[in-house]
Amino acid sequence: MIELNTIRPYFEDKPDVLDEILGRYPEYGRRSAVMPLLWEVQRHERYVSEARIVEIAEIVGLTATEVRGVMSFYSTYHGEPVGKYHLQVCSTLSCKLAGSDEMCDHLEDSLGLVPGETDTEGLFSLQKVECLGSCTTAPVLQVNDTYYERVTRDELDALLDALRRGEMPTPKRAREGDNAQLGAAPLAGEAFEAGTAADAALADAEAAEPENPEGGAA
Amino acid sequence: MSGAVADKPDTITSRHDPRFEVTLYKYVGVEGAHTLDAYLAHGGYGAAKKAFGMEPSEVVDLVKASGLRGRGGAGFPAGVKWSFMPPVDGRQRFVVCNADESEPGSCKDRYLMEDDPHQLLEGMMIAGYAIGATKGVLYIRGEYYHAYERLRDAIEEARQRGYLGENVMDSGFDFDVILHRGAGAYICGEETALMNSFEGLRANPRLKPPFPAQAGVYGLPTTINNVTTLASAVHIIEKGADWYAAMGTDDSKGIHHVQISGAVNRPGVFEVPMGITYREIIFDLAGGPKGPAKAFIPGGTSCPLFPFDDEHLDLPMEYAAVAKAGSMMGTGGLIVIPEDQCIVDAMYNVTRFYAHESCGKCTPCREGVSTWLPKMFQKLLAGLGTPEDVDLMEDMVSNLRGTAFCPLADACAWPVQTSLKYFRNEYEHLAQHGTPLHPRKDRWQS
Amino acid sequence: MKIKVNEVELDVTPGTSVIDAVFAAGHDVPYFCSQEYMSPIGACRMCLAKIGAPRKDRATNDWILDEETGEPKIFWFPNPMATCTTQVMEGMVVDTISKDVKKAQNAMVEFTLVNHPLDCPTCDKGGACELQDRAYEYGSGESRFVFDKRHQEKHHALSELITLDRERCIHCKRCVRYFEEVPGDEVLDFIERGGHTYIGTLEDGLPSPFTGNITDICPVGALLDTTSRFRGRNWEYHHTDTTSLDDPSGAALRIDTRTGRIERIKAGLNDDVNKTWIDDGTRFGHEYADAEDRITRPMVRRDGTLVETTWADAAREIAERIAGMDGTRIGIALRGDATLEEGVAAKALADHLGSGRLDTAPRPAASVLPDGAAATLRDVATSDALFVVGDPTEEAGIVDLRIKDALKGVEPAPLFPHGPAIADLRLKERMPRKREILTICAPYRTDLMKHAGQAHVPPATSMVDLLHALAERASATVDGGTPSGAWDDALGMTAAEADALITRMRSSTRGVMIWSAFVSNDPRADEAARTFAKSVGAKTLILGPMANTAGLERISVLPSHDRYDYASMFTPETKALFLASLDPAVDPKVADRLRELDLLVVHAAFPTATSALADVVLPAVTGYEKDGTTLNVEGRLLPVRAAPVEAGTATDFTGVVKQLGEAFGTRLEGRSVKSARRVLRKLLDVDAAELPTTGQPLPPVRGKASGARAVREYARATGDALIVPSMVRVEHLDRNPHLRAERGDAALRAHPATLHAHGLTSGDVVTLPIGGIPRQLRVTASEGVPEGLWLAPTLPEQPVGLYDANLAAMVRERSATAEVA
Repeated sequence: MIELNTIRPYFEDKPDVLDEILGRYPEYGRRSAVMPLLWEVQRHERYVSEARIVEIAEIVGLTATEVRGVMSFYSTYHGEPVGKYHLQVCSTLSCKLAGSDEMCDHLEDSLGLVPGETDTEGLFSLQKVECLGSCTTAPVLQVNDTYYERVTRDELDALLDALRRGEMPTPKRAREGDNAQLGAAPLAGEAFEAGTAADAALADAEAAEPENPEGGAA
Repeated sequence: MSGAVADKPDTITSRHDPRFEVTLYKYVGVEGAHTLDAYLAHGGYGAAKKAFGMEPSEVVDLVKASGLRGRGGAGFPAGVKWSFMPPVDGRQRFVVCNADESEPGSCKDRYLMEDDPHQLLEGMMIAGYAIGATKGVLYIRGEYYHAYERLRDAIEEARQRGYLGENVMDSGFDFDVILHRGAGAYICGEETALMNSFEGLRANPRLKPPFPAQAGVYGLPTTINNVTTLASAVHIIEKGADWYAAMGTDDSKGIHHVQISGAVNRPGVFEVPMGITYREIIFDLAGGPKGPAKAFIPGGTSCPLFPFDDEHLDLPMEYAAVAKAGSMMGTGGLIVIPEDQCIVDAMYNVTRFYAHESCGKCTPCREGVSTWLPKMFQKLLAGLGTPEDVDLMEDMVSNLRGTAFCPLADACAWPVQTSLKYFRNEYEHLAQHGTPLHPRKDRWQS
Repeated sequence: MKIKVNEVELDVTPGTSVIDAVFAAGHDVPYFCSQEYMSPIGACRMCLAKIGAPRKDRATNDWILDEETGEPKIFWFPNPMATCTTQVMEGMVVDTISKDVKKAQNAMVEFTLVNHPLDCPTCDKGGACELQDRAYEYGSGESRFVFDKRHQEKHHALSELITLDRERCIHCKRCVRYFEEVPGDEVLDFIERGGHTYIGTLEDGLPSPFTGNITDICPVGALLDTTSRFRGRNWEYHHTDTTSLDDPSGAALRIDTRTGRIERIKAGLNDDVNKTWIDDGTRFGHEYADAEDRITRPMVRRDGTLVETTWADAAREIAERIAGMDGTRIGIALRGDATLEEGVAAKALADHLGSGRLDTAPRPAASVLPDGAAATLRDVATSDALFVVGDPTEEAGIVDLRIKDALKGVEPAPLFPHGPAIADLRLKERMPRKREILTICAPYRTDLMKHAGQAHVPPATSMVDLLHALAERASATVDGGTPSGAWDDALGMTAAEADALITRMRSSTRGVMIWSAFVSNDPRADEAARTFAKSVGAKTLILGPMANTAGLERISVLPSHDRYDYASMFTPETKALFLASLDPAVDPKVADRLRELDLLVVHAAFPTATSALADVVLPAVTGYEKDGTTLNVEGRLLPVRAAPVEAGTATDFTGVVKQLGEAFGTRLEGRSVKSARRVLRKLLDVDAAELPTTGQPLPPVRGKASGARAVREYARATGDALIVPSMVRVEHLDRNPHLRAERGDAALRAHPATLHAHGLTSGDVVTLPIGGIPRQLRVTASEGVPEGLWLAPTLPEQPVGLYDANLAAMVRERSATAEVA
């Protein structure tokens, strides 16, 4: 409760963001805004604190209990802060058959982390996740919102190095077969646009600022 | 079964058939194809324009005639589903696109949304027109952020240029799309759970009836279809029902997308005519198995698995034939399991997925799938199991079959049940010796 | 339609769920998630059965026949079906006993027990546990689950009143659904998902006035009434099915006692009244009955000190002291929750003494009986236009819940031989609510207003005028006339709002107007309310201040003359007083007057300010320990039955009259419950001894209700303190520790700005003289209170209404900040 009094409401100075999100849904469907509001907070604070849950509940006219019930149902909302780079190893069957177990072992060794942990600097969080829908380009590693598909050992090491430098590399294009005519050469290695523009922007912003896990507290 | 090629020489059931042409995936993988200009350049939104010149009921009839069936896994005839909508009564109606592609082994929707988002929007628009829905809901799984960005931008671009919004393309028809991001829940692929999720509720499946056509999103009349089902409508309008029906078999017409993963030389998404055999898919398209294979799952991990033998490889990819052989065509997510992969380990992997994704609403799924069954696998894999444990697992899995609220428990039970049927020796070996018949090996390519 | 359950053929109404059909056929299926009066959800999968039905040929519309038998062919569903969510169909065949079905049921028990601890021997639910029973009936008797069960918190206090054992939860969702569907307070939800799912709240307790019902409906020992935890085993309890005397709703209760002590109160079933729900004040407010300081023996004052004595001695003392006294100088007053039998006894005593000074308190200035038939609670629940003046949540909690039933718009289902429908398929989770049918008017923001389409908070001082204006406007427009005269928006409602209300009420066929002491305490307001209801054609429901105020009025436990009312008993004209369960000495001026009496007889269960002044104190029973009859808000006679509670020689007022009669040397009518009932039979033409637990409606009085008018009008036109109703009886609060811990001390509520202006903070404890009675209250900020107004909960001696608060004399006993430090 103390938290409530000392932290500035997230949406207090973002009426436009709030209006845009609420405006997506019909008036009778105001409750639909719960998920995008949670996303909005998490995208900027890397997790959704209890104070933010209470704030969102008030915005949509629910109890905080209901918002927490919804939020906790989904596996990608976090009630605790995650690291700047959230490394999510897909571990479901197709990725497993492409070596995701080994990939995860390699990450555990490289980072000294067990899945579910965040390092002390708050730089990396490691998590095993379930099917990311990248089965034909397995194994896949999702860093924050960006997919790195068909990752090899060398590529993974290079990726970790880049992340340690604060750089989000552009993922390679790794889709064989998708529109290939029978017998035609698979498409590979084509240039791919920047992973996600917003990811990059966030990474830049965070690189410029000291870590602030409390989000809007400052 | 309906050996389609022989019976009906006119239908296309092979990708070797020179008449077959990649359609939905024609621009997937093509640089820059996602923009509105690129889409318009190859005739984009022409099908919607054509549809607007027809009566909505004619559009429904056309889709019915094409034989298009739902590509999300269940395979329900799309046109029939559209015709379930109640008469227009002034209430808001919705067309929902189920883009919560979460079935392990499936990824066809992601590529289409990333690289050709307008194709999907046009499909939704056509469906909306056919069923009288001026609002579309595009529910995309939370992890597909790149596709989300592409769709978000595509919707914005379409709105700005009159392809979405009021009076679309001066047709007099209003249509707009609400793009909604999920947040990591496989169960949202179940249509009623998806609607709960969209409404900001916990994504538990709803009771049926009422079905979505009576009470869907916000309790209003709703039709819900998968991404490639909706995108198919674009081409059916453009090229006609006959064109679509000329591919496939009597039971299963048109185009599907096979997504091959696992132990094959060239994993990927392949657009294929229905009725193509699994042998053609695995050996011709995917370059054959990488080493000896022992099983394949034909349509995503929810489906009973098949042994990798001639009988099953020669099955045509059609709903009836696959069902008759004891499995399902599902989403077309085909996974090849190599000989040297411990089947118990593989099935634990599958079980763990469903354990993680169980919504917890009903008892057999929450306590069986999400709690007990994974513990049994862990016990066995830790070398602590007994032959009685294998019997217990078999019995437990049979208790999960058909007793749960929604098909998620079945989805878990099916592959496990068939693995026990075809590879019981591996379970027994583990139970007797404490070690797997096929020890773990490094599968990561370097 | 005809269906067959196993081999039993029966006729059922279309729309019936299969589970109810199975029970109606005399068969059984186990279930955990279904719950009477709530939506069926098919979650526990316990009620699986094999179900088949014939089909019609689409082309010919004839039944498809079985080639062998020539009968309609039964098409079986491929999987076992949950009977709770399946509707009957013509010709349906249900199999609940075959081997396949048994295997499925057995499997569901096994799955349910996977994570359920084996702590039945120490579980409060043991012996009365649905899971225990069903596991015994349908389980295999042994567990194949060899792993560690889920370990979770076993003593999680969801609130001060409810303890959650998370390990025992079987996720039936009854509690979560209950909060959304019944009181509409979504304060409990599932957290996480799959095997990790648990129930929890983020609300800092469970902020709802109706939380305790979840302990009744929990099928296992996960949700427990904290007041009764670890107090006894279910088979040791003696059950008393009775009626609540806490408020006028007449809710059915089951009191569980053991060795002379009330261990817990559960809701009873009365389909017409409370269904299976009760409010928290009623459920948890019983601890006082077992308080240490119960008066268990009569006492008389000897040399200035009260000393214990026998009943006979005490009665003799009274008889001697009033011998020769002018009967008209003797007053007798009962509290408004006295039974009808006690009322008869008091009347007999008054008649014997020749006194007309007989009254009940608190008694509103106007009658609480309707003109003609009252709206029933069923009328409320099926109403399509409701106008509420007051705060039913606090005044009669069940009325609040029945109003919420009306918002769902589902007609009550008929009862089956096995009771209410186990699965009423018309009820759904998150049903849309027809808020627009509900208009509420109260001088502060009430809890129920968040469910209302129209909520009006007029200034407390203009409530009467507003009702008048509404009555006038309604009258003027009876035959489509146009309203004359100006409308003053400052009354708290605009003319457009008033017209909309009148139109809505008038155009409905099932309109109900509900009002309470806020109205009844002012005869002008009462008249306006009656006029309004009549002119819009609404039935009326009048909430009396106490459980049996209406009943006591109905049998005329009233002064013979207006000047002889309760207030007049504290004038020098009175020489002797009999006060039953009343404590007027909380008013120091009244206390002074009581000291001057020749004789003060107090019949009380606990020492009070008044008993301290008494010449004779007689031990009284509480409302849980009486046999008798009460008349609820809708005019239903309901039986009150005594639970076996150890209270020495305490009796109800009939016992007092018996002892006094013996001392007077006469046999008074009403000297026992039985004797009083003979009188009641004459008065009401009802044999109260024969009443079923669910009671029976009493035919209304013909013509206009009449009652003696009280001289003292409680509702004043001015004042800055508003005494408000409270479901938690403040007079018992100190002896109800759990309820007090949860609901807090008696609160002095005011707008934050008002508090700020007086230098007060939430949490300060003050003594504030209100209407002459010094009230010790804890200050609480509330945005729902109009600025400048102070709200305090009612006492039997301080009925609801406006009073002057002597703010200048306010004393801060403790400050909130000092307490923290």
